[in-house]
Amino acid sequence: MITAGLVEALAGIVGARHVRTAPAERVTYARDGLPTHRRVPAVVVLPGSREEVIAVVRLLAAHGVPVVPRGAGTGLSGGALADGSAVLLVLTRLNRILGVDPKNRIALVEPGVVNARLSVAAAPHGLYYAPDPSSQTACTLGGNVAENAGGPHCLKYGVTAQHVLALEVVLGDGRVVELGSPGGEPWGPDLVGLFVGSEGNFGIATRIAVRLLPLPRAVRTLLADFTSLRTAGEAVSAVIASGIVPAALEMMDQSCVRAVEDSVYAAGYPRDAAAVLLVELDGGSEAAVTADAETIQSVLREHGARSTRTAADARERERLWQGRKKAFGAMGRLSRDLVVQDAVVPRSTLPDVLETIARIAATYQLTVSNVFHAGDGNLHPNISFDGRVPGLKARVDAASTEIMEACIAVGGTITGEHGVGLDKLRYMPLIFDAESLTAMRAVRRVWDPEERVNPGKVVPVHACREWSGIGTRNAERGTRNPIAPSSSTFPIPTSALAP
Amino acid sequence: MSDRGGFEALDACVHCGFCLQACPTFLATGDEADSPRGRIELMRALESGELAPDDPAVVVHLDRCLGCRGCEPVCPSGVGYGRGIEAARALLATKRRPAPLARAALWALTTPGPSRIAYRLARMLRATGLPGAVAGWGRLRFAMGMLAATRPVRNAEWGVRSPRVTADSARRTPHSALTTVLLFRGCVMDGLFSHVHDATMRTLEVNGYAVREVPGQVCCGALHAHAGLREEARRLARANVAAFGDGDGDEPVVVNSAGCGAMLKEYGHLVDEARFAARVRDVTELLAARGPRPGAPVDVQVAYDPPCHLLHAQRIADEPYRVLAAIPVLRVVSLPDAAQCCGSAGLFTLLEPAMSRAVLAPKLASLRTASPQVVATGNPGCLMQLGAGLAASGLRAAARHPVELLDESYRAAGYYA
Amino acid sequence: MTLVERVRALLGADAVELAGGPDAVPRVAPASPDAVALLLGTARQEGWRVRLEGAGTWLPADAPADLALTTRRLDRVPAIEPQDLSATAEAGIGCDLLRQQLADRGTWLALDPPGLAGRTLGSVVATATAGPLRQGFGAVRDHVLGVTFVTGDGRLVQSGGRVVKNVAGYDLTKLEAGGFGAFGVIVLVHLRLRALPRADQTFVLEGTREDLTQVAEDIIAAGLQPAALELMSPALARREGWGLAVRLAGSAALVAAEEAGLRGASGGRFTALRADEAHGFWMRAAESFATRPVAFRTGGLPDSSDELLDLLQHQVGDEWVSASPGVGAIRWAGDTTVDRLRRLRRTLAGLEVPLTLERAPWSIRSAVGHFGAYREGVGPLIAGLRRTFDPGEAFVVAVEGSE
Repeated sequence: MITAGLVEALAGIVGARHVRTAPAERVTYARDGLPTHRRVPAVVVLPGSREEVIAVVRLLAAHGVPVVPRGAGTGLSGGALADGSAVLLVLTRLNRILGVDPKNRIALVEPGVVNARLSVAAAPHGLYYAPDPSSQTACTLGGNVAENAGGPHCLKYGVTAQHVLALEVVLGDGRVVELGSPGGEPWGPDLVGLFVGSEGNFGIATRIAVRLLPLPRAVRTLLADFTSLRTAGEAVSAVIASGIVPAALEMMDQSCVRAVEDSVYAAGYPRDAAAVLLVELDGGSEAAVTADAETIQSVLREHGARSTRTAADARERERLWQGRKKAFGAMGRLSRDLVVQDAVVPRSTLPDVLETIARIAATYQLTVSNVFHAGDGNLHPNISFDGRVPGLKARVDAASTEIMEACIAVGGTITGEHGVGLDKLRYMPLIFDAESLTAMRAVRRVWDPEERVNPGKVVPVHACREWSGIGTRNAERGTRNPIAPSSSTFPIPTSALAP
Repeated sequence: MSDRGGFEALDACVHCGFCLQACPTFLATGDEADSPRGRIELMRALESGELAPDDPAVVVHLDRCLGCRGCEPVCPSGVGYGRGIEAARALLATKRRPAPLARAALWALTTPGPSRIAYRLARMLRATGLPGAVAGWGRLRFAMGMLAATRPVRNAEWGVRSPRVTADSARRTPHSALTTVLLFRGCVMDGLFSHVHDATMRTLEVNGYAVREVPGQVCCGALHAHAGLREEARRLARANVAAFGDGDGDEPVVVNSAGCGAMLKEYGHLVDEARFAARVRDVTELLAARGPRPGAPVDVQVAYDPPCHLLHAQRIADEPYRVLAAIPVLRVVSLPDAAQCCGSAGLFTLLEPAMSRAVLAPKLASLRTASPQVVATGNPGCLMQLGAGLAASGLRAAARHPVELLDESYRAAGYYA
Repeated sequence: MTLVERVRALLGADAVELAGGPDAVPRVAPASPDAVALLLGTARQEGWRVRLEGAGTWLPADAPADLALTTRRLDRVPAIEPQDLSATAEAGIGCDLLRQQLADRGTWLALDPPGLAGRTLGSVVATATAGPLRQGFGAVRDHVLGVTFVTGDGRLVQSGGRVVKNVAGYDLTKLEAGGFGAFGVIVLVHLRLRALPRADQTFVLEGTREDLTQVAEDIIAAGLQPAALELMSPALARREGWGLAVRLAGSAALVAAEEAGLRGASGGRFTALRADEAHGFWMRAAESFATRPVAFRTGGLPDSSDELLDLLQHQVGDEWVSASPGVGAIRWAGDTTVDRLRRLRRTLAGLEVPLTLERAPWSIRSAVGHFGAYREGVGPLIAGLRRTFDPGEAFVVAVEGSE
């Protein structure tokens, strides 16, 4: 229970001006980057140091109050939302870069450090932080760790999990544990790997050691455009099969290209193309990158590119990338509301899946724009709509589900980098059986036995089975969940609503 | 004018958060309610009636907005934040009167009669040298520092050798076809920065413009609009449109104050005078259009700090650099995060001193590192804020308008002889 | 019914091999993941203690147990997708067979684990034993997209998937990769592949350790990105002195450029190996680790490699040592005692360097443990995870030592 006394005690830890209880202030924290979900937290707390974070978590543990960690609130799964029973713990003030070790290529940061700022700080040493989610100018590294964030350049360099070496974590009961070592070798099982991507359910990272990479000495950025989406999808497979691993391989369809070209981030993408591919090659040697870029360019042309061009200089490259990275934000130009999906499919199925998505969009009479990490098969269909139109949201939800099912049918998954959060909870039983969901829940309870940190996210508890230690404890509390014999009992609207 | 009074400009926000790091107040507090995205949430709730315009928790966060519009150029969806916040402030103003200090300042600085007296007193005080001597961090001492920063600066005072006038190049270029431009004088600029007006006229004339004075003009109304006094702002706007000739006049209106320029360019939205708005030019735009003509060398190290209302509101980025580039030898040192607001923001520095200083602090830290002799910026508020901040933190640098530096260079080149 | 009769009734007569190990523990080879689940479910009911085996070439098959579960009949490769650069393989497939099948489809698993060529995939994943290619392609976990595993009480659990990017649910795969079987027996692995490199060149330089350490530093400082950069003791390198081996792999253009860079960084002192020489060189080095009784790995910072090699030399000798100075990892093999290993782990822990015991006779590994010297608060988490995945303590795994 959140009492006046508890609020006072919180203020005693962080200072009264860093505790927010007024409705107007709490409302500003009701959404993250996916505004279709909205939950107003009971209290918002903004600690200024790791000691304050620990003290707050211990206080909330003593009162049995749920706590939800939040970084910049740019997540795209409703993962950082707290409802009226929970305290939202905002980590933006823990924004110090504690150290950069250029010799060993390591940085130690607090969780509120903004992703792009780390690369800026590392640049004088010739280093950078590789994972580059499109929100990197705003999102925090703590959030990146919680979500196992990706980004265009993860095609070559891997997602966040591959760049986190060690963590200091506050568990839900206030214990502080150190995971991993600065060299990257774990002290036992790989608990860092397990923690990364746990969406705040395992605890709150208060210190993060990450690997930095040397800035590539040579970079080539190619833009190729296509007159059909299918051809573009086929070209992606051809590039992957060429044996050359691009640093990034991104696709945007026509609707997305036009939204970007209408924005301040206009990049000079051809507006009449059905799709454009942005391909980047990088490496330590100018000659090798040039040769590889030429190979890729001919692969693209052989596979139907209408034209290809290379960014002439760093400025043009930056422009091509800004257009891509701000594409999600530019969707606001199409309509006032937006849902975005994050499915991943085997790369060879891209041409078929893209056609399926277009067909679903047509069936439901919706605008779907695609902007995604093609090299990873990580799709981001954006559905633009006006939520004020009665019945439209239901149609959007039905189309989303149908898109997701199509991706799963070809062997894909429901989220590649945005996380499950609230948004994809309902899809979890489509890819995991009850046994596996229950195993996940059991692991969560090892870290957080009361399931009090970021409750209600990631694992749909009613789809879980009984598992040693879980069922009994819940039974004692009188909140035992019904045992679902299989995922098929979980209600998913599989049949489409009539458009 | 739409019937939603400007709130419709916020519709495009999809909550992506790309604006957060461009917002000086969010950087200072880390609080979503002090970010553009959070304030948009508040403004939407105000429009829908979910939150009341007299809710103190709404008011405090909207009041804390600098109005720098640093969020606009980074917004992929093109949200019209500036129009939204003015609409919201107009709504707040229906429930409260502006703070007494704000009303006093507006009265003293912008009403023709009283302001003449106020500025004369201020200039007299300035001439005593006292404000410069007592400049510091306290509220009053900071205000003294601001006043001291309006003083015309002589080269020797900040360690720059005065260039020698070379007589042989001392010849004004005769322009057969002079373009006539109309000078917008404003209130603070006219009262405390008349030397910048003089420099503006001289440098424009060297570049082929004939500058004409326009009688009957008044304050641009920006400070009123920011305070939510929209009707007052409209009244001033109409007076200016009338003075500068709304029907037949098509001469460019030249402004050397970024804040006034941004406001005049908004007259299309404010009073439906898009034709007038389209005539407004910042002085650096006009100069850059002509090169500008290179002057004589000035040996000085300059940091350019773009005023928000020039960079974000008017999207004028390169022109001031081209003005500085016309001065041989002058070196421009780069300031990290130069695009961040200095915390001046019109009356903000007086009304929200704590937040204003918090926003100023990182700016001063990067100035300490860059250690220029001059900080160039084209807005009276920024000149005063930076000047006071430099003095208070003991940095030996002067805040000056870019055209002052060009003027200096032209004088040395003998163009005025 | 005896244990053997129960198992035969459950899985069929051919699933059990009597007198399998030297200690006559019956060896059971289930032929499907479901059979593994069935067996372990029964083990839970009966209270049987189970040790896990692959091909039996890495960890000695000597843990005291009621039965040995071997994955050797789980040797199918259900999918190789060259266009997606992914594959799905059962855990009992030998790495040599898998490598051949992948190569036939133009693909490559960029892992070169220590041990004999026939080591099972499951063994490599469960012990997270990466080889020199970790310099260019990362740890074992970076190659594993998902796993299916069976818990100690017979539950079949899937984690991850076969797509190259996946954040659906908690990443239990990370717990299984390097869990030494304490959190379940891996039955199926989804792998991230690479295209078979168009060019693959190995260069070796012989010299003193000091000299080669400097050369390695120069290579990294020059911005080269070799697939492997391995500093090897004379016995491992089969040279008079220490050997520094550099492997370049990728497109022809990349390898040519890196080779030029290598010449520049080293003054052209490296000797290029022919393809068959290179193959033999890396294979013999990998096999050497399976011929000594004990092997362990340490993970320090890149700039501490030299200091750690000194420490190893001082405490346990350095006859069989291989270091990746670019990533800070060192693998050691040889003959040593429980006491020396404990002391070494303590010393290393003081330097923030973990030591993972990879292989040793049961007498040593039960005393020393694969892991140890946990940081504060980590022990209870690991104990909790073990209880979750092996509530009846069916698996005989020396997770922590008995100290």
